[in-house]
Amino acid sequence: MSAAPSPHPPAAPGTSPASGEVKSAAAAPQLELRGVTKRFGGVAAVDGVTFEVAKGEIVGIIGPNGAGKTTLLNCISGVNRLDGGDIRWQGASIAGMAPHRIAKLGIGRTFQIVRPFGSMTVRENAAIGALFGSAEGRRGVAGAFELADEVLELVGLSAKARHPVSALTIPDRKRLEVARAVATRPHLLLLDEVMAGLNNVEIDEALEMVRAVHATGVTVLLIEHVMRVIVGICRRAVVLDFGQVLAQGEPDVVLRDERVIQAYLGERYAKRLLAERGQGGTSDRKS
Amino acid sequence: MANFVQLVILGLLAGGVYVAVGVGFGLVWGVLNIVNLAHGALVIVGGYLTWQLFAAFHLDPFLTLPVDAVALFVLGYALQRGVINRIIRAPLLFTFLLTFGINLVIINILLLIFGSDFRSVTPTYSGQGFEFGSVVIPYVSLTSLGAALLLAAALAFILNRTRIGLAINAIAADRDAAQLVGIDLRHAYAVTFGLGAACAGVAGGLIAMTQAITPTAGEPYTLQAFVVVILGGLGRVSATVVGGLAFGLVEAFGQSIPGSGSVFANAIAFGLMVLVLVTRPQGLMGRLR
Amino acid sequence: MIATLDSNRRWRRIFLIVGGVVAAYALLAPLTSLDAAVSANVPLLADRLWFRIATIIAMFVVMATAWNIIGGITGYAAFGNVAFFGIGAYTTGMLIAKAKWPFLLALPLAPVLSAAFAALVGLPLLRLRGHYFAVASLGVGVAVGELVQNIDYGGQPLFGGASGLFLPIYSIDNRGLYFFYLMVAAAAVSIAVTWWVLRSRFGYGLIAIRENEEAAAVLGVNTTAYKVAAFALAAALTGLAGGIFSQWNVFINQDNTFPIEYNVQMILMALLGGTGTVFGPATGAILLQLLIQFLGGTLPISFDIPFVSEAARPIVAQVILGLLLVGVVIFVPRGVIDFFGGRTRLSLSYLRRSLRETSL
Repeated sequence: MSAAPSPHPPAAPGTSPASGEVKSAAAAPQLELRGVTKRFGGVAAVDGVTFEVAKGEIVGIIGPNGAGKTTLLNCISGVNRLDGGDIRWQGASIAGMAPHRIAKLGIGRTFQIVRPFGSMTVRENAAIGALFGSAEGRRGVAGAFELADEVLELVGLSAKARHPVSALTIPDRKRLEVARAVATRPHLLLLDEVMAGLNNVEIDEALEMVRAVHATGVTVLLIEHVMRVIVGICRRAVVLDFGQVLAQGEPDVVLRDERVIQAYLGERYAKRLLAERGQGGTSDRKS
Repeated sequence: MANFVQLVILGLLAGGVYVAVGVGFGLVWGVLNIVNLAHGALVIVGGYLTWQLFAAFHLDPFLTLPVDAVALFVLGYALQRGVINRIIRAPLLFTFLLTFGINLVIINILLLIFGSDFRSVTPTYSGQGFEFGSVVIPYVSLTSLGAALLLAAALAFILNRTRIGLAINAIAADRDAAQLVGIDLRHAYAVTFGLGAACAGVAGGLIAMTQAITPTAGEPYTLQAFVVVILGGLGRVSATVVGGLAFGLVEAFGQSIPGSGSVFANAIAFGLMVLVLVTRPQGLMGRLR
Repeated sequence: MIATLDSNRRWRRIFLIVGGVVAAYALLAPLTSLDAAVSANVPLLADRLWFRIATIIAMFVVMATAWNIIGGITGYAAFGNVAFFGIGAYTTGMLIAKAKWPFLLALPLAPVLSAAFAALVGLPLLRLRGHYFAVASLGVGVAVGELVQNIDYGGQPLFGGASGLFLPIYSIDNRGLYFFYLMVAAAAVSIAVTWWVLRSRFGYGLIAIRENEEAAAVLGVNTTAYKVAAFALAAALTGLAGGIFSQWNVFINQDNTFPIEYNVQMILMALLGGTGTVFGPATGAILLQLLIQFLGGTLPISFDIPFVSEAARPIVAQVILGLLLVGVVIFVPRGVIDFFGGRTRLSLSYLRRSLRETSL
């Protein structure tokens, strides 16, 4: 545990994952990262990252560009192989597992740069997730399309189900990315900057979508640059810098951390955000 | 031991031709992202040009090499500008098919002009060579190796020291960015392909001196160019030189395996290529791109 | 807009009718050469030469349709599929010629062995992408052909060597007809398999791999297994065609079972007809093979190319074929299926648009 300077909020998992101290069943870690390390060439993009995510949480990962956020998601979803450390899912190690097996265990993800299946319709895209990813077992083609329709309803793409992907706007493509991942019926959803590049109204809609998905019982781990999202939706934030955990804890607390401000936000921006949050009400916790 | 030395020397000498065959192919592949299936046909065009000049004007075959280079440059430039540029943004299969079509056209035009007879270029000094004990070094092979290395050096010079060469390098690194800084892509692409064709032409001239050629003899050279480029690694002339020489050595030693004869040379070469591709896709000398 | 749609629909209907009539003729006319038909004085509608060409066409339908599974649906530009044709041919050929198996027992092993070989080489090769996969698969194709010709065992060429392998002639009445229908059956099987693939979970997985392999993997598609399975399936069908070919042709060697140009032809056929579709590759195979035979002067309906002597004709035919290949690739990058399928109309503006889309 290299860095956890701020006091943990009560709901956060215990500080030492090895000792089975007082943890309620609900707060038992669903996902544990222990010293996760990934190098490219000689450079450690992710360097000894350790944190946990409890079932039902929404956790945000923030950090400056190149801090290793996407690489970390790649490690969890099996796209990148670990060079060190371990990742445990519901108690069992998933390090070194192929991406499709991790998907079948119930970890879904989106890509920062959307990767739709270009020749398919929106509905078919979602159906791929339903066909292959489901932790609940195999589905037939017809069943997959049914689930795809449900999921498109959830993310608000029903009206465009039969459109080719090429006809979608950027925000809709991001929705589709989420829909596809949700269609795998994940227990944990990894979202890589699904709000980047959206305007304020679109962000609000996207927030609604994430809340709706979360409300179906899905744990969410998301990377986000938009602070409003982190503060508005996350119970906990993990700050990465140079591949290491700089701080973690309640977003308000973390964002007030001096080192975080210096490493990442620039003082002025952080202050403005906290001010915004002060005005904008606080009832984002439960959704 | 003498046998071993002889094999190494033979391999390196044969490698000269493979260097010449490989550099042009590697340039086109690395910069234009085109696997040029007409490369072997262009090689043979160079071979026929050398043969024609030798047969008609009794020019020394080595003196015909610059002519081959210039003529093939023009042909290559025209092909890229007029035809291949038109599908440069299509999926990769299309470049395969297009260059195969060009290959078909070139070969059959050569057949119409020259017929299917074997032609060979035999200057007075062919067949002679230096002798060191039991080791023989033919003059032609030695000069060919020299010419091939000179060709590679010239290409490296053009790519690294001239204006158009730097433009070509810029395109290889990032096509869109190159266009943004004002490089005329169509022209630069055509020059690149022209340079590749010129190298093929020189290779053809060299090949005509050591073996008889027919219009259909080019196909193996396309395949060997693949192997050479992959062995060395895509993207640098020096890597292709290493690949070409390595290929020559592999061939020489492969042919010397008792019992197998020369017939397994291709299988060994391709086996090696697949091995390199799977274990070290950046090539022996290459950097990951 | 509506007018265009209507005319497209009309074109489609015309295509279907013409295609249906031609197919019915092609499949039924040979029956008039049966002994029973001859003795009943039914006029002969198709001669023996025709069987040969039609069988070759059916063979290419199999190969192009099979290539489509790995190249069109999965998006892996296999350039060495002819290796599977050769392996199929030599499997059946060896079992019949050396082990004296009956043909119908030897034939099923052709697809099995081809598929097994594809799975074996596919595991390492399918880790490569793009050009690298294409080149490596080509290398495998060439190397296998060479090995088959040159492997010796106890001083004897194991597979007949450079002089090839002769099979005993299959004794059956109406041999030509028999093998024609056998090859057509193989073509029907390959088309049916494609049809099934495109509607199955398997097919959706393959298309997902083609469109974005990494995204497919994180959605739970076992990409390695799927790619290898697609490669093996393509190999099995191609090997089946090879197995039939060996007994039909009676003589096999490196030149007629491992020709590199088949690699290009099957891809061109699939592209011409439309990759990733059920009937596209078959359509392309029929069109291109008819054209090749027509230019080569082997079709009953033939013509003289002006200014060209009889001797130079095959060469000029090849030049024309090459130019046509260049033209098709430049102007019709999405295949003729676009027109026949009614999605677009062959017009100057279409050609111009497709040129603009792909050119520099």
